[in-house]
Amino acid sequence: MADMVDFLSTSLRVTTPILLSALGALIASSAGATNIALEGIMLFSAFVGAVVSGLTHSLILSLLSAVSSGLIMTGILAFFSLKLKANIIMAAIALNIFSSGGTIFFLNVITGEKGSSASIESLVFPTLEIPLINKIPGIGEILSGHNILTYFALFSVIAVSFMLKRTPLGTKIRAVGENKEAAESVGISVRKVKTVALLLSGFYASLGGVYLSMGYVSWFSRNMTSGRGWIALAAQALGGKSAYGVAISSGVFGMSESASYSLKLLNIPGELTQAFPFIITVLMLIIVSFKKERRFIGNS
Amino acid sequence: MKGRKVKKINISNELSKTLIVILIALLAGYILIFLTGLDWKGGGFFQSVRTSFQQTGEAYEIFLSSPLFKLNRAIPEFNFKGFVQWINQSVPIILTGLAVSLVFSAGIFNLGAEGQMFAGAVGGTFTAILFPAIPVIHAFMVILTGIICGMAVAAIPASIKYKLRGSEIVSSLMMNYIALYIGLLLIRTFLRDEISGALMSRKFRETARLFLLNERYKWHIGIFIAIGVTMLIWFIMNKTTWGYKLRVTGANKTFANYSGIPSTRMVFQTQLLSGSIAGMAGIIVLAGYHGRFLWVNSPGYGWDGVIVALVAGQKPLLVLPAALFISYIRVGATTMGRYTEVSPEIIAILQAIIILLITAKAFLANRPLMETVRSAMPARREDG
Repeated sequence: MADMVDFLSTSLRVTTPILLSALGALIASSAGATNIALEGIMLFSAFVGAVVSGLTHSLILSLLSAVSSGLIMTGILAFFSLKLKANIIMAAIALNIFSSGGTIFFLNVITGEKGSSASIESLVFPTLEIPLINKIPGIGEILSGHNILTYFALFSVIAVSFMLKRTPLGTKIRAVGENKEAAESVGISVRKVKTVALLLSGFYASLGGVYLSMGYVSWFSRNMTSGRGWIALAAQALGGKSAYGVAISSGVFGMSESASYSLKLLNIPGELTQAFPFIITVLMLIIVSFKKERRFIGNS
Repeated sequence: MKGRKVKKINISNELSKTLIVILIALLAGYILIFLTGLDWKGGGFFQSVRTSFQQTGEAYEIFLSSPLFKLNRAIPEFNFKGFVQWINQSVPIILTGLAVSLVFSAGIFNLGAEGQMFAGAVGGTFTAILFPAIPVIHAFMVILTGIICGMAVAAIPASIKYKLRGSEIVSSLMMNYIALYIGLLLIRTFLRDEISGALMSRKFRETARLFLLNERYKWHIGIFIAIGVTMLIWFIMNKTTWGYKLRVTGANKTFANYSGIPSTRMVFQTQLLSGSIAGMAGIIVLAGYHGRFLWVNSPGYGWDGVIVALVAGQKPLLVLPAALFISYIRVGATTMGRYTEVSPEIIAILQAIIILLITAKAFLANRPLMETVRSAMPARREDG
């Protein structure tokens, strides 16, 4: 029982960064833009958050600067892909390469180290005890006492779902994603809508990144995202166009990561659990496209 | 005749754009090193500027010259060690550059070169350690296993695209991580060198190693393999019907379909060919230079291949100079990192700038913009 509680609580903790980024991926892909720069945005925001908080000792300033770095990166992505007609995949690859090396370069400039920013310890976002719920044995330990960003992530599932389904902005985003020409013909500015969607995805990815360096731990270390941006992309591909679907697939991936900590005792190799999200996604992509194909043949 | 002329001008336009972009990136790197080198606390502003200026100059001198020259008592002389590193380093990048160029010219975004390269290296390692030690044939088999494994990894997203019309972007990206983790698992379980503390494979058999041109700096014959493959791809792309069909498919899929070219099959075959070339890249580095499998993380040659394909504009013959350039700045940056305070990771920033500006179609190539500028000028004169 205690093991189970521990497992679920850890699952929620490790799901947070994946879920936040996956929601970003969802918004971007709803507008028909594949944002594969999530990994780079997460990494760079994690870096900016940790360093700014280490230097200024201000939670608000570090949050703001981390989020703005994420917004600037997606802004560059939007500007190059929509205005300068660059291929969005290529531009995103550029951003990922920039983050992987750039964070180390700037880390070295600022702290003189290349491994981590542990020498200037950063602040950590506060945890939240939920009244009443934290009194319930078991459930209280699972749900209460998490980082404030974890609750924001859970809240965002509802918010993003509502935004996409029920607000004018969401309708425009989906219209642009479904059929660009039709959207344009009714006077929707495709470029504007896509830019907004990309910026929102950058916002969520940067929160996912900040959670890693200022929630999970209190420092930045090189390549600390270790593929979480790609897992988020996988979670979106698996969860489809619904925020709840994305939340479920993120949760499954979080659980598999959490299980990898406890499964070490069962002698299941760590590499296998690390590969799990990607294997499951490829399998699901095969199954989903197989179904689509059947329907396609049926219709014609 | 006329059409040909126009095309030629376009190519030289592209080339000059690429050169300008590279210059911009180098300049940006220079400015970045200068700015981060400023010491805001100690001394006066001008003193600080002067020191940083000098340091940046020294760093850039090493960065841009070290693969070819070294200073021996202030007299530059040929740096053979640097040269060998440069050539060796360029081999995997040429191969992944060709692999990525191929899929890009078919108009698809298979970004799985990294995973194909990694799988090839893992598969080749098995052959290099377990296959009977027959001279020449063994080394040949090692590379062949690399080719097959790379192709196998490419086949998965390729079949999803071909048979099921699923997007190849996400599935090929996922394959990178699957290849990485499963590859590491296989090496660790079956071929791990128990004596060594770090995670690496046992040593390759001597017969699995590539022939060395220079023993001391381990200059292996990989560069000739890479040049050979480049020639082969150039020939396939430009002198065979298959290559012609491929280029038509990449240029306009609908047109290809109407003219009877099976475009989806072309796309499928191209991804397999691309995977087999990427599969060679990693194992050649291991069999030529290291002599064992020692990667605990993906070495990134696949992503270098994306840059090379972009800089080369997907033209096989231009892949050679493009890969040599990327490898040159890599080796130069590593040496710079050894002798100065500047960390070599700065080249990631330069590479990002290069990719962004080259893919930006509207950057320096915006004819309407240029026309507006031109037409705006006389108008202004009329105003004045």
